[in-house]
Amino acid sequence: MKVRIRRFDGQKEWWQDYEIDAKPSDTVLDILNRIREKHDHTLAFRQSCQMGSCGSCGMVINGLPALACQTRIGELKTESIRLEPLYNYKVIKDLVVDLTDFVNKHRSVKPWMIRKNPEELEEASMEFQVTPDQNLTFVQFDYCIMCGVCLAACPTVAIDPLFLGPQALGQAYRYIADPRDEGFEERIEVLDDSHGVWRCHFAGACSYVCPKGVDPAKAIQYLKKEILKYRLLHKKKASVKPAELVQKAPPANAPKPPPFDFKIEGGE
Amino acid sequence: MKMDREKEEKRYKSGLLRSLWPYNFNVERYTYTLHRITGVILILYLIAHVFEIYHLALGPAAWQQTMALLGSLGIWEKIGLWIIAGSALYHGANGLRLILNEAFGILLGKPVLPEYPYTPTSLSRNQKIAIYVIVLIVEALWIWAGIYLLWGLGII
Repeated sequence: MKVRIRRFDGQKEWWQDYEIDAKPSDTVLDILNRIREKHDHTLAFRQSCQMGSCGSCGMVINGLPALACQTRIGELKTESIRLEPLYNYKVIKDLVVDLTDFVNKHRSVKPWMIRKNPEELEEASMEFQVTPDQNLTFVQFDYCIMCGVCLAACPTVAIDPLFLGPQALGQAYRYIADPRDEGFEERIEVLDDSHGVWRCHFAGACSYVCPKGVDPAKAIQYLKKEILKYRLLHKKKASVKPAELVQKAPPANAPKPPPFDFKIEGGE
Repeated sequence: MKMDREKEEKRYKSGLLRSLWPYNFNVERYTYTLHRITGVILILYLIAHVFEIYHLALGPAAWQQTMALLGSLGIWEKIGLWIIAGSALYHGANGLRLILNEAFGILLGKPVLPEYPYTPTSLSRNQKIAIYVIVLIVEALWIWAGIYLLWGLGII
């Protein structure tokens, strides 16, 4: 089987072809490991759990963003495979992309439980409970493994790097839909913006490629509905732009932080 | 070795072409691309239309001149109007579907427990039916608009 991989070494980009023996039951990740073991040890790609739980091996397989560990050769039904790094990301090397912006966008929507009285979380006197029906309203969006595949499929991220993207917006809705959370007003400043939910025009590509069935497009449309409802009732305007909240990756020529000192006090 | 900073910071395969290229993806992404293109056509038409109407303020002579210029385009004017009519029909009909989705949460399905093979409910059968109904209605009205325009030219 012919495997075509988009390579990048920090300076130049090129396509490299490999001829590999493959069974239909092999995953794309198996093929990549075989290439690195037997053909080319310079090939770079991320992997960890090899079972679709960690979200490390996201890449573009035959033009469609997917997890390499969940894609079997037999499913592709093609004579050759074309592998590329995830679209809409900066490439570090070969199939490894820079997820800094992605993680910063995720952080900007405050993806954690917010209570109006923070002491409740520190010194809770009882468990915050949800009923199974309430749980069903957000648990689907809780399955996100942060693989970043949805952002590679999103046509809006392709033209607006500041757009929060389906992952961050989906996670924002996950907490907003949670009856235990009271942070809607804190998050709305970031979400109700031209780079927030309103930049999404429901192409649905994020839900189409999501390897865990999270359906972020649905979460975003529900989020729009919630924000519209809130604005109609409260008539408040957003004052903070997400562009100010999203931290940017340091420039390439920025001084590197000093290496971590591994010395242990009292040791040699 | 000096790093080429611009090249390093370039995002892989992003930009307008990547945004509008729906190949390999779902039907909804094709509707997205068409919605964007028809939106641009309508914006361009609105600008041209305002420019055309502006000649009314310059007096009857200027208006007659503009009308004569448009009339000299012949069949191309009608083809242009037909494309604008199709754009308005599609953009309006698909826009209504998007308003139903976004403002009212209709056609999205309820949140469910994800189960393999993870078919997203927001892209489910109902959504597809809505899209195909829109396409059928728009096609029918567009064909009618084409016949109407050609009839105006005396071709039919």
